Amino acid sequence: MTESFAPGVRVRDLTVVYKTPAGELPALAGVGLTLAPGTITGIVGESGSGKSTLALSLLNAVQPPGRIKEGSVEIDGLGDVVKLDGEDLRQVRGRKVGYVFQAAQNSLNPLKTVGKQLLDLGRSHDVADLQALVRDARELLGRMGLDGARVLDSHQHELSGGMRQRVGIMLALVLNAHLVVLDEPTTALDMITQATILRIVRDVHHERGLTTLIITHDMGVAAEVTDSLAVMYGGRVVEHGPTTEVLGAPQHPYTQGLIRAIPRLSGDIDEARALPGRPPTLGTMPREGCVFRERCPLRMDVCDTVDPAPVTRGERTVACHAVGHQVSPPRRKEYA
Amino acid sequence: MITGTGITKTYKQRGHILGGRDVQALRGVDFDVKKGGAVTFIGESGCGKTTLGRIVAGLETCDSGEIVIDGTPMSGLRHRQRQAHFRRIQLIHQDPYSALNPTRTIYQTLHAPLALRARQTGRSKAWAEERARELLTLVGIDPGYVLPRYPHQLSGGMRQRVVIARALTVDPEMLVADESVSMIDVSLRLGILALLKDLRERLGVSVLFITHDIATARYIGEDGELYVIYRGQVVERGPTETVISAPVHPYTQALLSAIPVLRGVERPGAERVEPTEALDERHVDTGCLFARRCPFRTDECEAERPSLGNGGGTPQEHACFHPRPRSVIPVEACA
Repeated sequence: MTESFAPGVRVRDLTVVYKTPAGELPALAGVGLTLAPGTITGIVGESGSGKSTLALSLLNAVQPPGRIKEGSVEIDGLGDVVKLDGEDLRQVRGRKVGYVFQAAQNSLNPLKTVGKQLLDLGRSHDVADLQALVRDARELLGRMGLDGARVLDSHQHELSGGMRQRVGIMLALVLNAHLVVLDEPTTALDMITQATILRIVRDVHHERGLTTLIITHDMGVAAEVTDSLAVMYGGRVVEHGPTTEVLGAPQHPYTQGLIRAIPRLSGDIDEARALPGRPPTLGTMPREGCVFRERCPLRMDVCDTVDPAPVTRGERTVACHAVGHQVSPPRRKEYA
Repeated sequence: MITGTGITKTYKQRGHILGGRDVQALRGVDFDVKKGGAVTFIGESGCGKTTLGRIVAGLETCDSGEIVIDGTPMSGLRHRQRQAHFRRIQLIHQDPYSALNPTRTIYQTLHAPLALRARQTGRSKAWAEERARELLTLVGIDPGYVLPRYPHQLSGGMRQRVVIARALTVDPEMLVADESVSMIDVSLRLGILALLKDLRERLGVSVLFITHDIATARYIGEDGELYVIYRGQVVERGPTETVISAPVHPYTQALLSAIPVLRGVERPGAERVEPTEALDERHVDTGCLFARRCPFRTDECEAERPSLGNGGGTPQEHACFHPRPRSVIPVEACA
C-alpha cells in the first residue's frame, strides 16, 4: 500500500484540437482549472461543451483524431501528465488516476467474470499479492452494499445497472488511486439508484481521502455531491466556484440560464425558462469573440470580437465581459 | 378520450434452459385520459410505464383488461377498425436520433403521410406541401431550413420537434410522449416541454407523458393527473400538485426523496424516505409489493396486498395501508 494522500490537479491553458475535413478545430480552447486536494469537483456542460475531452486529458488519453495541442495537466506526485508517454503513462492510469467510464454497462468485458477482470487489472499493473487485491475488492464492494464474493463470480449481464456502476467504481479504486474521474456516473440509472450511487461516491471519497472529479450534464447531480463546480460551454470553463455559491448566485449568463431552465418541484413552475438558441458544435463554434454571445441576454459590442478571459475574484472565476460591469447579477432578466 | 380497466401484460422469457421466468409487466392497471387532459406516468425503469404507453398507443396488446376509446371498446374490433381508432393516438419516441429515417429528407418524411391524407380526403398536392410547412412552423422550426435537410444535419432538439411534427400530420387527438426529453440537452429540454404544453393548450391535444423526471411532469400540466407506477401496479394517483407536495405512499416518497437537491438554492425536505433495500424483481410477495423495501411496513403489509383507494381520507388515491403525507421534496432555501 502506498501512503494515502489526495493530489491536487492544475490544468493550465489546455487546448485540445480534433482533426476534421475543415481543419483542426478546438474542442478545448485554453482551459484552466484547479482541483483542490481532497475535494469533489463537478464539471457541468451540455453535449459538445468539451467536458469529456477535459476528463480524458487528465489521463492524457485523448484519442486521434484529437490531440492535446498545448497546455499542461499537472498532478501532484506525477508532474505534467501531458509529457508522459508509453509505459510511464500506462502505469499512471489505473494506479494513480482511477477512471469510471460513462455507461459502465459497456465498459466491462461480457465474456469474463468481474473477478477475472480484476485479476487482469492486477497482473497488468504487476500487483504481487493478488489475493490481497481480491480481498480489497471484496471489501470495497461490501462497503458499497454489495455481496462482494457473489459479484466477483458474476458476468456483467447478471448485474443490474446500479451494480455495474459500483463495479466500475471498485475497479477505479482498487489499485489505491487517489485521483478519481467519474464520467456521467449516473446516466441511465433510476432516481433511487442514482441517489444511492451519489451517496456512495461521497462516502468513499471521504473515507479514502480522494480528489474526485465528476463530469455530468445534470445540474442536480453536481449540486448533490460536489464541493466546487465548474460550468463548461463551447470548450471553455465559463464559471467556477464553490457549488452552493455558483448555484445560489450564478454570475455567468449561461449558468444563470441553465439554472432557470431546470423545472423544479416547488415554487412557481412557470418561472422555468428555456435558453434560446442551441449549444455550438465543433463546426459552428465562432472563431473569435465570446462563444455564448448568440444566446446571451447581456450581449455587448465587445463580445463579438474579444473572447472574455477568466477573471478570478476570491474563490470564484467567471469569463464574461458583462460581469464586473454590473453591480448585481440580473436574475430577473427575461429571456425571449 | 381513452380509458383502460384492469390492464395486465406478462412477458414470457423464452429460450432459457430452465424454461425462463415470466415477467409480469402490468398487474391490473386502470387509467383514464380525458379529452385535452394531461396524464403523467412516473416510476423506475422496468415498472411497466413504457409497456403501458405502448398499449395506449396501440403498438402492444394487453393480455386481459379492456381499452375504450371514446366509448368504443377495442376488444371486439377487427384489426383494421382498431387501427383507425389508434391512429388518433400518436407515440413520440424517446430517441430522436433513431426515430427518423436517415435516408430521407425531412420533406420526404413529412410529405408521405400528408400526401396519403390528401388522396384520402380529396385535397390537392399543394395542400400537403402547405401543411408540412404549417406543422414545422407550429413546432417552432423554420421550414425553409429544415425541409431539404437529412436528420443527421439537425440537432437533437430540432429532430425531436420534427418527430412531433410528423406525429401531428394525422391530426391526432392524443400524444404519448415516452421520455421524450431525456436525450436532449438540458438547455433545450424546456423548449420541447413548452411545445407539448402549448399543443395541449392551443389544439386541445391530450398528452400522456411518461417519465422518471417528476419535475418535468409538473411543467407539462399542473392541472393534470400523476400516476405513480411500481412493478406494474399503480400505487398512487391524483392531481399532480397534490401527489408532489403531499405524497402518501412510501414508494412515491422514496422516489421524490431521491431527487437531487440544488444546494445553495434549495434545502432537502425534512422527512426524506429511503428504501431499506434495493429492488429485487425475483421476489413477488403476496402482500404489498413494496413491503420488502418499505421502512414503515407492518405485518399487515406482508399478509395482504393493498388496492388503490382513498383510505384514510386522502385527496389522492393510493395503495397503502398506512398512508401519511410526508414532506420529502426539496424546498426553496430562504436567501
